[in-house]
Amino acid sequence: MTDVEAPSWDAPAPVRPWWQRLLRDPIALIAAAVLAVIVFCAIAAPLISPHDPFASSRAVMKPPFWSDRSDPAHILGTDGQGRDMLSRLFYGTRLTLIIGVLSVGIGGVLGSLLGLLAAFRPKLDPWVMRLVDVMLSFPAILLGLALVAVVGPGATPVIIALAIATIPDSARIARSIAVSVMKQEYIEAGRALGLSSFALFHRYLLRNCVSTIMIFMSMRFGQIILIGAALSFLGLGARPPTAELGMMAAQGRDFLLFAPHIAVIPAVLTFVIVLAANILGDALRDVLDPRLRS
Amino acid sequence: MEQASAPLLEVDDLAVEFHVGGTVQRAVQGVSFSLERGKTLGVVGESGCGKSVTSLSIMRLVPQPPGKYARGEIRFDGRDLLTLPEAEMRKLRGARIGMIFQEPMTSLNPVYTCGEQIIETLTIHSGLSRAEAREKAIEMLDLVGLPSPSSRVDDYPHQLSGGQRQRVMIALALANDPDLLIADEPTTALDVTVQAQILDLMGDLRSRTGAAVVLVTHDLSVVAQTCDDVVVMYAGRVVERAPTATLFADPQHPYTVGLMAAIPRINAAVGRLATIPGSVPPPWAAIKGCRFASRCPLATDQCRAEDPPMTEISAGHGVACWRAPIEVAA
Repeated sequence: MTDVEAPSWDAPAPVRPWWQRLLRDPIALIAAAVLAVIVFCAIAAPLISPHDPFASSRAVMKPPFWSDRSDPAHILGTDGQGRDMLSRLFYGTRLTLIIGVLSVGIGGVLGSLLGLLAAFRPKLDPWVMRLVDVMLSFPAILLGLALVAVVGPGATPVIIALAIATIPDSARIARSIAVSVMKQEYIEAGRALGLSSFALFHRYLLRNCVSTIMIFMSMRFGQIILIGAALSFLGLGARPPTAELGMMAAQGRDFLLFAPHIAVIPAVLTFVIVLAANILGDALRDVLDPRLRS
Repeated sequence: MEQASAPLLEVDDLAVEFHVGGTVQRAVQGVSFSLERGKTLGVVGESGCGKSVTSLSIMRLVPQPPGKYARGEIRFDGRDLLTLPEAEMRKLRGARIGMIFQEPMTSLNPVYTCGEQIIETLTIHSGLSRAEAREKAIEMLDLVGLPSPSSRVDDYPHQLSGGQRQRVMIALALANDPDLLIADEPTTALDVTVQAQILDLMGDLRSRTGAAVVLVTHDLSVVAQTCDDVVVMYAGRVVERAPTATLFADPQHPYTVGLMAAIPRINAAVGRLATIPGSVPPPWAAIKGCRFASRCPLATDQCRAEDPPMTEISAGHGVACWRAPIEVAA
């Protein structure tokens, strides 16, 4: 075959899998490691907690290990009711992460499907987007307040409120990506191959949007954790005996002058989680977005 | 010329409109042509003349809305494609009618391997198992001249060059052994050497598979090389249709004559390139009379007042012009 080929500058060496490229970025690597440790502690909370996180004791407001007055049994000290801070942090992180993952997961999936559908079926587009506009006009905190008023406080109404608050943004992001994908010639080519609408939606549209949507959701995760913590701080989230980072910070508020660690430690941990999630989201975008790849 | 059997494809008085923001854009108006089995028909015209809309209409892929099939029929193998239920139409697409697109760079789904895409269309239409489909996919890639097909089958589109991607597109379009292949500017985005290879390949495959081809192009040299018959379109209408040899020997419509004159010749003195003055009327313009009259050197008052009908001036040679047959100064 005398096949004269065009110079193949667009055919580079085999592309590394995305996670290998991710691990070559040192900052992303640190963020991933920090997040991995935090997630591990959250999952393993019942196994690694030195004390019962709900049991009060008379050793109240013990300072952490760096203080002279610290109690070796409580590395990070105790809170205002004498409960072990470290154990409560493990459990608190657990609940905070569950709230974040579930609300971003549920809201992100529902919102993305709405957005993709709007782009895929232009007839539905105005209806879906008006619905999204309506949802967008409710602030998450207000929505949370309203839900708590109806259902009562707890993690579930917080998750529902945050999931609903995530829907409009994910729908908008998904739609804007999907609209540009729908204009690509391969969508028409897929139709010309006689694909069913479902196959076209799933294999051509969704698969080409999913990485960008994932990036959005990982960035959104940090925000949602903050709003979730804010809701708990306002007393709308988890009910007192349970631990949640935002609620722990709120309870520590009363002792800020005598025992600042009770409020500061959960607040710092929240900050670290959000920062790590955002850095990782940024790095994921760089790695997964084909436009930034080369 | 006339054959007893009905033609494979008959487009009859097709009109396609686009309704955009209150205005009606008539992209295609009263286009008719027919195509016998195993023949190649060239559809020529400049950008915006309705070539692509016509070819998409055969696949019924004009987006509706804003598009609308206002009039006419497209009979494929005796059935009117414009009234066929969507499910039936889907069975034809990719199976009995294959399509090759202009941009090989963006016509393949970037998230699946080339093989995966061929396997998909084979399993949908031919009912092959995945293993059989994979064998067939490798066979097809070999047929279209992709080097080392058994490893290339697992390559993603971005790992191939433009010419290779167009080969994959052709393999994809021909995978189910279609009766009709629609090629919408298949070589426009490729460089000249690759163009020639792709045209050779298409010619070769056509004689091997016996598929009829509708070749949409603005390149008259491509038409001269590959087509049996030619349809010349201008502003949404067919202005002339003829067997290729007849058209090149004896062009009748002033627009066709202008197109021929505009081909740069390698042996001609280098001077100003020939052009047709003016531009194509926009599709929303309401035009009385012949659509080419404003640019036509031979236009008369009749041309500006009445739209010329398609008239047969010799066997198989029709032209829509009041002044035809014209005596071309030899």
